[in-house]
Amino acid sequence: MPENFTERLKTFADAFEMYKSESRSLSVAFENDRLTEIRQGESSGVSVRAVKSGKIGFSYSSKVDEIEDVAKSAARMAPFGKPYNFEFAGKQASKEKLAYDEGCENLNVEQLVELGNKVKDAIKAIDKDAMAECSFSGSTSRTRVATSGGQDCEERGSGFGYMVGAKVCEEGNFVQTYRYRNDNKRIDDKEIIEAARIAAQDLVIARNVSPFAEGKYRVLFSPSAVSDLMLPVGTSVNGLNIEKKTSRFVNSLGEKLFDDRFSVTDDPFLPDGPGSSLYDGEGVCTRRRAVVEKGVLKGFTHSLSTAKACGHEATGNAARGVSSIPQPSMHNIVVAAGDKSQADLLKLAEGGLLVDQMLGTFTSNFLAGQVSGNISLGFPIKDGKRTGRVKNCALNVNMFEMLKAGIVAISREREWQGNMLLPWILLEGVGISAR
Amino acid sequence: MVKTATPTNKTVTPTSANVDMKSLMSDLVRRSGADYCEIRIEDSREQSLVFMGKNLENVQESHMYGGNVRVLVNGCWGFVTFNSLEDLGKRVKEAVNNAKAASKLSNDRSVLAGVTPVTDVVKLNLKEDPRTISLEQKLALFGGYNERLLSTKGVTSTSTRYFDKYTRLYYANSDGTWLDREYMDSGMGAYAIATRDGLTCRGSTTQGGRNDFGIYRGMEKDIDEAAKSAVESLDAQVVKGGNYTVVCDPNLAGVFVHEAFGHLSEGDNVADDPRMQEILKLGRGFGQKYLNIWDTGLDVGLRGYLPYDDEGVPTQRTDLIREGTLVGRLHSRETAGRMKEKPTGNARALTYRFPPIPRMRNTVIGNGPHGSFNDLIKDVKLGIYAIDSMGGQTNGELFTFTAGKAFMIRDGKVAERVRDVTVGGNVFDTLKNITGVGSDLCVRDGAGGCGKAGQMPLPVSHGSPHIRIDNVVIGGR
Repeated sequence: MPENFTERLKTFADAFEMYKSESRSLSVAFENDRLTEIRQGESSGVSVRAVKSGKIGFSYSSKVDEIEDVAKSAARMAPFGKPYNFEFAGKQASKEKLAYDEGCENLNVEQLVELGNKVKDAIKAIDKDAMAECSFSGSTSRTRVATSGGQDCEERGSGFGYMVGAKVCEEGNFVQTYRYRNDNKRIDDKEIIEAARIAAQDLVIARNVSPFAEGKYRVLFSPSAVSDLMLPVGTSVNGLNIEKKTSRFVNSLGEKLFDDRFSVTDDPFLPDGPGSSLYDGEGVCTRRRAVVEKGVLKGFTHSLSTAKACGHEATGNAARGVSSIPQPSMHNIVVAAGDKSQADLLKLAEGGLLVDQMLGTFTSNFLAGQVSGNISLGFPIKDGKRTGRVKNCALNVNMFEMLKAGIVAISREREWQGNMLLPWILLEGVGISAR
Repeated sequence: MVKTATPTNKTVTPTSANVDMKSLMSDLVRRSGADYCEIRIEDSREQSLVFMGKNLENVQESHMYGGNVRVLVNGCWGFVTFNSLEDLGKRVKEAVNNAKAASKLSNDRSVLAGVTPVTDVVKLNLKEDPRTISLEQKLALFGGYNERLLSTKGVTSTSTRYFDKYTRLYYANSDGTWLDREYMDSGMGAYAIATRDGLTCRGSTTQGGRNDFGIYRGMEKDIDEAAKSAVESLDAQVVKGGNYTVVCDPNLAGVFVHEAFGHLSEGDNVADDPRMQEILKLGRGFGQKYLNIWDTGLDVGLRGYLPYDDEGVPTQRTDLIREGTLVGRLHSRETAGRMKEKPTGNARALTYRFPPIPRMRNTVIGNGPHGSFNDLIKDVKLGIYAIDSMGGQTNGELFTFTAGKAFMIRDGKVAERVRDVTVGGNVFDTLKNITGVGSDLCVRDGAGGCGKAGQMPLPVSHGSPHIRIDNVVIGGR
């Protein structure tokens, strides 16, 4: 890409924003005990938002050397586009620092295949019937945002993620357990093998089916299941839903909506947070901010466009791939830890359920607070222990109501689930349907 | 490095426009040194638009250009993606080296089922080419639908989306197959949102297809129905959870067959697991005599139409359940090779960034003997009529999907509207519990697609007549 491209872009458009991304990745996957995939990827792209006559056009190409064609195309789209009623990012520099891990750059096939073999052995040692599944992926990226407003920032990123799982498919009983984590640095093999052992131990318990009657119960949600429960709140503080007034929280800033013990922070600077970054997808400096503090709604998640439309301050939350326009999204969603241990929560959930995985929750009506789906991995709790797993059970909760009046306790311990750092949460009065 | 000489002897970046793709790719796959090698190169151009509420949120043109090399060496795969034809020979070597390195550490060996190599050029054959419709015309049509949603009393916001994507796909493999395919894909979705007293409800309609922009005209009735559905849902009660007889409309039944049985039929679920091979043994009973399920790539115009899969295997209709008995499954060359069965043309990759894996095309429940919708509900004392789908998910044994809208059935008649209806169940039990299959088979495409192994949204189709299922778990209050 020519270095004077910003000068060239000025000849096509009244204002512009260029986003460029280049990444490399290596991943290895095992399925059903077998090495199934070694994938090495190189991915690039450039996109331009161009303003002509007060309107915005967008264009993208996976070939970075097509920048001029992309800019022309964006300018051609502009007269049809959305009014340009905000300003592309001005010159700004982040004062924060984030580490870049060379280890994600230097991965090789041998290391990852050997790790897969170790994971397979660890799972088989606990349950010889189990089929092992795992994948490991490392990547490095470089993104650059340049605007006619004077911003020109570049950020290097590194990432590593793993998924380890165990499954058994028996007549009338398919069981699958898994654990995963993403980080912006290479994750130690020991953690990955330990995660495989935990998944295999979960499988051993889950292979036994326990009967469970429908009704209303105390339900302890693991961090994996809590990641589903957080979607109504995440969706409802999203600037797009505030701008379009489809969120019930539109006029609720500063209101006490939830239990005192429920707090959510968006933190883009966590060293092990996979969503950490210094700049958002529009080149705006990111910042740590409270979303919910002791049950009080403190902030929304905005891109430049949604912030302007709502009359709010931009929050540096524009997320994007190179082929799409920026949309508001949180970086690392951190739910505050509680004051009870995970073991205490298990005792408090006596007679109820521990839900670890749910199926199909993404189809729920999050704007209404609803989370519903099949319980794909849930354990009845008896004498403070998990006893087998439930089958053919579904749940449907309204999280706006639950977070207000249904929280029994929140754990001190937390785990990463994607870009969410989450505790265990015990809820009261959860309706379970069963056959 | 691949370079092409111009008359002035200047080197230019090779692209599919200035390189003889057939010679380049066929030569590289032949000389790769791998036991098997294939190269896929994809050149796509997409136009899309999004209205949200009163505003046009985005209008976009995209160009995606890239490819991959996939090799098999000593039974291990190597797969490398790229965005430029430069250094294509180097990419082949990288894939071979990765596969060789893995083969030293792994005892796993893949084999490919043999197929007859094909050479073909597949040109577009469109009734009305979306590329001939100006952006102004598209904005007027879909903007008009968006306005129509918004003008419905009670609708507070909307989202109306449209895309069309033209792709030219070059494919060569070391068995001698060469394909130069053009295809079109398109879809639209219109979503109405109604909000009152903090409650938000949705209604939607979608449409999609591969060969005719004309399908997007005249959708006013569907748009009105979507708006009405969102508004009426505000007054509906949340369904009471429990076990019900559920009558599914053709669209929801299509999602059901896709989620509940289609995924289970994909060969990669079975090929390496002896227990699964026993559970899914051909010849086993899976439903009543009137249950017939197939998957086909033959239906021209549908989003699941696929003349060749992404391993160059010609498409076919593959019967999965015939008269209640399991008779087939969906294979790539690899899963067919491992199970010593025949490839079915189901190896599909979302884009060049992914290797092909067994996926569905158009998955269908055939017509049955139980007549009309009224015939299916007349004996249901207490049940649910579930219409359209917001999507679904399966883990092989369990499935879940959410109905777009739903009504109670009381004493054989459609009664009051209910909302937040999530249908869940066990695949094996549920197939046996299909107690009625109507005779009004309908396949209608949407704008979404299927997700598997990170490859989403893959264009697929599904359809069914109305069906009745007994003893279904409904999540609710």
